[in-house]
Amino acid sequence: MHRTLNLILLLLALASAFALYVLKYDTRRMEARVQGLQRSVDKLEGEIARLNGEHAHLSRPERIEPMARALGLAPIGPRQYLRLGASPPAVAEAPVAATRQR
Amino acid sequence: MRSSDSIGPGFDGVVRPARRPAAPGLRARALRVRALLALTALLLAFAAVAAQLVRLALQSAPRLRLTMAEAAPTAWARPDIVDRNGRLMATDRAVNSLFADPQIILDLDEVIEKLTGVLPGLNAAELRRTLADRSRRFVWLARGLGSREAQTVHELGLPGLGFRTELRRFYPLGPLGGHVLGAVSVDNRGLAGIERMIDEEGLAEPARGAERNLRPAVRLALDIGVEHAVAEELRRGLAQFGAVAAVGLVLDARTGEIVAAVSLPEVDPNRAADLLDAELIDRLTNGTFELGSVYKILTVALALELGLADLDTVLDVRQPLRVGSHVIKDHYPQGRPLTVREVFLYSSNVGAGMLALQAGTERQRSFLAKLGLLEPMRTEAGSVAPPQLPDSWGRAETITIAYGHGLAVAPLQFAAAAAAVVNGGEKLTPTLLLRADAPPKAERVVSETTSAGLRELMRLGVTHKAGTGRRAEAEGYGVGGKTGTAEMPGRGGYREKSVISSFLGAFPMEAPRYVTLVMLFEPQGTGETRGRITAGVNAAPVTARVVERIAPLLGVLPRLVQAHQAAPGTPAFDAPPEAQ
Repeated sequence: MHRTLNLILLLLALASAFALYVLKYDTRRMEARVQGLQRSVDKLEGEIARLNGEHAHLSRPERIEPMARALGLAPIGPRQYLRLGASPPAVAEAPVAATRQR
Repeated sequence: MRSSDSIGPGFDGVVRPARRPAAPGLRARALRVRALLALTALLLAFAAVAAQLVRLALQSAPRLRLTMAEAAPTAWARPDIVDRNGRLMATDRAVNSLFADPQIILDLDEVIEKLTGVLPGLNAAELRRTLADRSRRFVWLARGLGSREAQTVHELGLPGLGFRTELRRFYPLGPLGGHVLGAVSVDNRGLAGIERMIDEEGLAEPARGAERNLRPAVRLALDIGVEHAVAEELRRGLAQFGAVAAVGLVLDARTGEIVAAVSLPEVDPNRAADLLDAELIDRLTNGTFELGSVYKILTVALALELGLADLDTVLDVRQPLRVGSHVIKDHYPQGRPLTVREVFLYSSNVGAGMLALQAGTERQRSFLAKLGLLEPMRTEAGSVAPPQLPDSWGRAETITIAYGHGLAVAPLQFAAAAAAVVNGGEKLTPTLLLRADAPPKAERVVSETTSAGLRELMRLGVTHKAGTGRRAEAEGYGVGGKTGTAEMPGRGGYREKSVISSFLGAFPMEAPRYVTLVMLFEPQGTGETRGRITAGVNAAPVTARVVERIAPLLGVLPRLVQAHQAAPGTPAFDAPPEAQ
């Protein structure tokens, strides 16, 4: 009687030990995964910051202005404004006249 | 031992008292042998420990030498800085810093040869000295390498070298806005400008490795596009007139926000050493200057405010003013009495002096104090150079200050005072940061009527055919302003050929939205200006070009568009609601 009970308890103990082992192993694996993900998040955030900086550097006005001027663009002049509803030919004329000025 | 007793059913046989008397002599001997054995074993163990100690002490002495812990420098992670439209001006970027563990380095010569080949910035002799010290376990070799350089070093495959990522401040726009931004140290601490404010406000955080600062970005009042346009036009002006330095300022006349602040020559915040160069100081805030005739804006405002004169009051300016042995004359004498309007228009020193004398020293002084010109001023980037007051403020000083000599202030401080005079009369506190909400209710410094009078005069200075500022006219934007040409103080008096020419402007003049200040230091006469160096021929046209470029960026619509003349019948575009 006692013997059976002991056996069952022993088996239970073994089973729970195994379950615990599996659980612990899983946790550890997941922790590693979380860490990995965190690392890649950090890395990507750093990458985003780097690209933002690079974007700002490449789109700095000092660099864009000569490019725009080379394309025939210029700062908008006071004669290029028209009231909304002005006749279409006038709208079409203004920018053309401005590029010709260059 | 157990085997001798194992015949019995239990081990208790060993201590059975019945057996003890059987062989008392034998028992004692066995005990002694056992004790001896134990003692020998212990001695051997101790000897082994001792031998090991001796061996370690003799053989591996260098390996066990104590290494001093390298003080890990605390690096700082800083929030980004953006302009008023959210465009990036400063950010932290992860960089690779190369370090070495001298103990692990196998072939010193190979390491030095290969590293200096890849990183030409390294000094071979210094590198040898650093790496030869085998007692150290951590030395920085090169900090802040780019990823490509780091990759090249990595590919050398040298043992004993390693990388750590750390944060390094990066200013993607280069010198643009450099004076406002300031600079940081090698450990990313703010040294000057807005960067120092970030540290003082506790927004920078100590960081390990490349942990970024997650605080929201610091948003400036500057507009990168406007800042660039002003810098660009100033550069052109600098070259055109051969000036040594230039200053440009665009101030929001209602909120006090500094939309553009340029001082040429520029500093590059990516090079902190620029800050130490006296030639590169921010002349807008860190220098004080006598600005000359632009002060007449304040003198006329004083006279109008006190009710001493209106625009049509006639002053007899034919006689020069005498101060001791000094005679104050007009540059463009008209040979007849002038109205206050004409005094401003022809920039008459005598007229300005007479108005100031009427007001008196005390009232002049308290008026300038009310405008905030006599007290040191501060912006978020730190203290502005304090005003240089005259040693004694008597009759002579009252006259000279009336036309802008004898009281030297930082250009920013003057522009703020002048802005208060033209914006309807409310005191303005310049700010480098974007105002999140409406500015606090401002103190009134001059009446609405005085302000309107000054606006009329300043517009007249540009539109009138005899106005000194007529070259400041930017078609459609209604620029108004006042020129000032001040001789620079030199050894033993003023130097006539070295001047600071300035133009304080505002647009659109009926209801100014922006106040501008353009200053050129020591401009030269050119063929185009027929040798003249006065502000009317240099600072004024630069202002016109600045306004023409920045008005569209700032959403100020031109008042007069002549394109409709080409297509008759189209409605005239003369008064957009924004410009009213």
